[in-house]
Amino acid sequence: MAQEAHGAIYDLLAVRGVSRRDFMKYCGYVAATLGLSEAAAPQIAAAVEKGAKLKPALWLNGGSCTGCTESMAQVDTPDVATIVLELLSLNYFETIMAAAGEQAEKNIADTIAAGNYLLIYEGAVMMGEDGNTLLVNGHKGKDILEEAAAGAQAILAVGACAVDGGWIYAHPNPAGGIGVQSFLDSVKVATPVVNLPCCPTSPEWVVAMVVQWLLVAGDDPAVFLEKTALLEKKYHDNYRDADVSLLYPEYIVGSTIHDNCPRRGHFENGEFVTEFGSEEEAKGYCLYKVGCKGPQTYTQCPVTRWNRSVSWCVNSGAPCIGCGGLNWVDNNAPFFKRLSSIQMGGSLGNVQPGSVGAVVGGVAAAALVAHGLGMKAAGRIGDGPPIEEMKAYDRKRMAKGGDK
Amino acid sequence: MSSQAHYREAHPLVFVITHWINLICMIMLAFSGFYIHYPFFDGFMGVARGMHFVAMFVILINLTFRVIAAFFVKTATDLGSREVDTDIKNWLPQEKNKHQFFETVKYYLFLRKEGVISAKYGSLQKISYLATVPLTYLMAYTGFALYGPTADWGFFMWGTELVGGPMNMRIIHYFMMWVFILFTMVHAYLANIYNFAPSKIIFLWKETEH
Amino acid sequence: MARTVIDPVTRIEGHLRVEVEVKDGKVVDAWSSGTLYRGMETVLLDRSPEDAFYVTQRICGVCPISHSHASAQATENALGITIPEGGRLVRNLLEAAQFLHSHILWFYQLTALDYVSPINALNADIADTYALAQAAGTRVADFGAVANRLKAFAENGQMSIFSNHYWDHPGYALPPELDLIATTHYLEALEVQAVANEIVAIIAGKFSHPMTSVPGGTAFVPTADKLDDILFRFLKVKEFVDTALIPDTLAIAPFILDATTYGGGCGNFISWGVFEKSDLVPENRYMPRGFAQGLKAEGISPDDVTEDVKHSWYSSGTGLNPSKSETQVKYEEYSTEGKYSYGKAVRAKGLPAESGPLSRMIVTYLAEAAGTDVTGGAADVRTPKMLIDSTLEALGVAGKPEVLVSLLGRVAARNLEAAYVADLALVWVNELVAALAGGEAKFWQAAEKDTGAGVGAWEAPRGSVAHWIDIKSGKIAHYGIVAPTTWDIAPRDDNDVPGPMEQALIGAPIADPERPLEALRIAHSFDP
Repeated sequence: MAQEAHGAIYDLLAVRGVSRRDFMKYCGYVAATLGLSEAAAPQIAAAVEKGAKLKPALWLNGGSCTGCTESMAQVDTPDVATIVLELLSLNYFETIMAAAGEQAEKNIADTIAAGNYLLIYEGAVMMGEDGNTLLVNGHKGKDILEEAAAGAQAILAVGACAVDGGWIYAHPNPAGGIGVQSFLDSVKVATPVVNLPCCPTSPEWVVAMVVQWLLVAGDDPAVFLEKTALLEKKYHDNYRDADVSLLYPEYIVGSTIHDNCPRRGHFENGEFVTEFGSEEEAKGYCLYKVGCKGPQTYTQCPVTRWNRSVSWCVNSGAPCIGCGGLNWVDNNAPFFKRLSSIQMGGSLGNVQPGSVGAVVGGVAAAALVAHGLGMKAAGRIGDGPPIEEMKAYDRKRMAKGGDK
Repeated sequence: MSSQAHYREAHPLVFVITHWINLICMIMLAFSGFYIHYPFFDGFMGVARGMHFVAMFVILINLTFRVIAAFFVKTATDLGSREVDTDIKNWLPQEKNKHQFFETVKYYLFLRKEGVISAKYGSLQKISYLATVPLTYLMAYTGFALYGPTADWGFFMWGTELVGGPMNMRIIHYFMMWVFILFTMVHAYLANIYNFAPSKIIFLWKETEH
Repeated sequence: MARTVIDPVTRIEGHLRVEVEVKDGKVVDAWSSGTLYRGMETVLLDRSPEDAFYVTQRICGVCPISHSHASAQATENALGITIPEGGRLVRNLLEAAQFLHSHILWFYQLTALDYVSPINALNADIADTYALAQAAGTRVADFGAVANRLKAFAENGQMSIFSNHYWDHPGYALPPELDLIATTHYLEALEVQAVANEIVAIIAGKFSHPMTSVPGGTAFVPTADKLDDILFRFLKVKEFVDTALIPDTLAIAPFILDATTYGGGCGNFISWGVFEKSDLVPENRYMPRGFAQGLKAEGISPDDVTEDVKHSWYSSGTGLNPSKSETQVKYEEYSTEGKYSYGKAVRAKGLPAESGPLSRMIVTYLAEAAGTDVTGGAADVRTPKMLIDSTLEALGVAGKPEVLVSLLGRVAARNLEAAYVADLALVWVNELVAALAGGEAKFWQAAEKDTGAGVGAWEAPRGSVAHWIDIKSGKIAHYGIVAPTTWDIAPRDDNDVPGPMEQALIGAPIADPERPLEALRIAHSFDP
């Protein structure tokens, strides 16, 4: 076949009506996504070309809402059709695969048996009720993950739930949702996990990591880890009571939303939206006062943006709710307040730090006034403390050899 | 009942100045901090942040200077006395302060009649003044952990991860401000509860004779 | 008797198990089971109402907007907030965009593969495909290019998402040319559903999980530049609905006419009503609130809802209204005789009730027949009655709306609803333009109190959604949710009466119990 002479991928693409020019354009896009210079495009083209055989992949849904899958369907370039027809062989992808039931399950088994695959995991790992809070054909969701993860070359944990349990992990975590890395730590599976934040995650980030794998890994996880700029973040998983260390792509979590926010100028100017849907919002003022969590949320949202770069949360007039952070609900709720509430438990429940501060300050002020009145009543005010008596007392104590 | 004189030896001029700098910086930090926490009027955020950073650097330098100076500057060893010794000796709790601790607490709780004091500061005073030093540095640490350009330095990242993320760090930063506010309230109250002689000396460097 | 299990039911949101008992080629009993528990109602306790707005939408990544609207309405109802006119229009547009996205995605990506074989499309004659497309009045594209793309894909030998499915099942009965047309539109639909979601992104920041329809109205302020972005995207989506979704439905229907004879289900239909008119009265929404038994209209109130847990993995109280619901999870061995689902058996007036487009279209159809206005006075809107009547006529069953109560009826109702919603969306864009031109458009209203109890009952593309909230001093004291799918995949209730999907499965033919395509079609028709 002519494919031998020209490079398989060009022929594959040509057959599909994609010109070489389009393909280079796509590679340029990939380069940009990866933060490489466009000059790297020919190199990328060569690398993708080598991978004309589609990379097998499994996309598993744990305790999920399918939102990250939906998000994937909103990907810009390459589009979904290209991904499933020409980039990955997604042998199992519950939401869009044709097969169901045992035929679908067989796809997992076949893929694991053949090996050499990537695993993409969406949703939390469900540990509650002894792992029975998620069942697929009688198997516990966590067991399916464990088996698939052990055989995978690398794992992408997509979305907040897969990262650390997401909202499911929020207090009191009745269903026992935890993140993929934390779970794999507990079952001692060492397959590398790359975490992609946000609820849902951005499809552009998923594609960027998949292409990154195809480009640099050479099917070797160690090479992938070495050549991908990753950032480590640690947190304490309260459900397992264990410290967990997560790997993120550095370019995604390297700076805060606040630092890249197009409304940052208004922040510095002190121009704020105080009421939703207001005149100030029409002017694009800063949402800081209505609780924007951009200042402590480390994601690339304002740069990548959402839904094929059409918009993103702050651009539509809503404060960032910090879904890209760890334990994002507990750490950011109430979402319209500047600081998150503190879980005091019991009858106190959730308390705002501001209320605590005001109460403590008020009580202290009242106590001082009361104390002052006491001092006055005791006749201590006026000339100062009875210094000579104090000294006399001290001398007596010191003469006795001080305190014992 | 007698009282004591307030002599300049208690607070040499250099410490009057550092105290002034502390006071001004603290006010600026608290005000700009509250503003940054929740902008209660428009048009001031850039200034507030600038103020917050400048005041923070000034207070850190001032504090460091004050601590070093404590080893060189001599201050009064006792209330109402012109006898001086190295400041740090008067600042750090001494042997004779030990027995005073609970007695002082009792005194302030009206459980004993006469006060106890044998050095320039009482034992509670010494402990709280001493605590302001690490507290201020810690406050700066939490601030740097929140500040964009420094937040991702390993040294600060370590703390952020320890407390469970930037939001918790922000809350700690916020609560610590209340600690300073409480300190200031109690400090001002106890210093001036008998009369304003202590303020006259620390702010105006004016002696009071008795 | 053989038991056939489909687990996982794929091409849905979430985790669903369907088990059927087949005798002589027919389903004689069926069980539908939700196999995931996440505990949202418990997580929400003691948080703020806006937290419920943001968290509850995460029940479902396919219909998050409807959950967020139900949650916002619950809070507004509890705290006595009346949303301003601008907020109403923006919410209608946002909801409409999600409906269009969802219906298009459901038909092409989720359910079409039960009828359409992309593998068989490889046998299509390209010239005949063009001729068929023209005859069917459906959208013409570069069918040759698509065929080549499929061929290259198939020759590569890796079947990706099409792996290991029973494409040789006799149920795949479409001519290859129609398979090719539908597959082409499958690929185009991926693009169009994303366009619909761009509207969501403009109004609400992103899809999934929207940001702006907060309690009180909307945080989004439509400016002129954003309005034209919204309008022209709606036009683009509407064009696809008119030139592909509807004609494709009509082109495929003749090949599956037997699907009008089964899959109907319980015959009780619930709709909370969706798309608000200016008066904000649920019974007067564009698609009004109502209940139907045997195609006879009745009223319905959120107070009529109860949840039974005899067959569900909960140890808490049964037969409670969701305003008082308890959610104490307790898993035990799966048993179709005992407990077999995390879904509660939700009942309306004690009856199992189907929710979703078929319910809405029937309730609206009946209301319209009784003289209710469903266009808000706008011309150029194809109403549910017009759409249903003309479709019945096209299929040769004019004047027989009872045919709708079937598998095919459920499929068709969803697509016809898309046409109605696409027309309405343009009306609302124009109303919004007029409101903005008039100056004083208001979008958000603050609450004046912080305590109260309320309910937000609304419709998601897939069915009826209601949230019950009890707010004490600005914090949530109780939260109850009945999600759309909860209605349809409800297990048996305390009286062992099967749920709507279970009833729809019972009586369905199964040609090959090893490959239960018909059961899959019925499950998918609910968009669970």
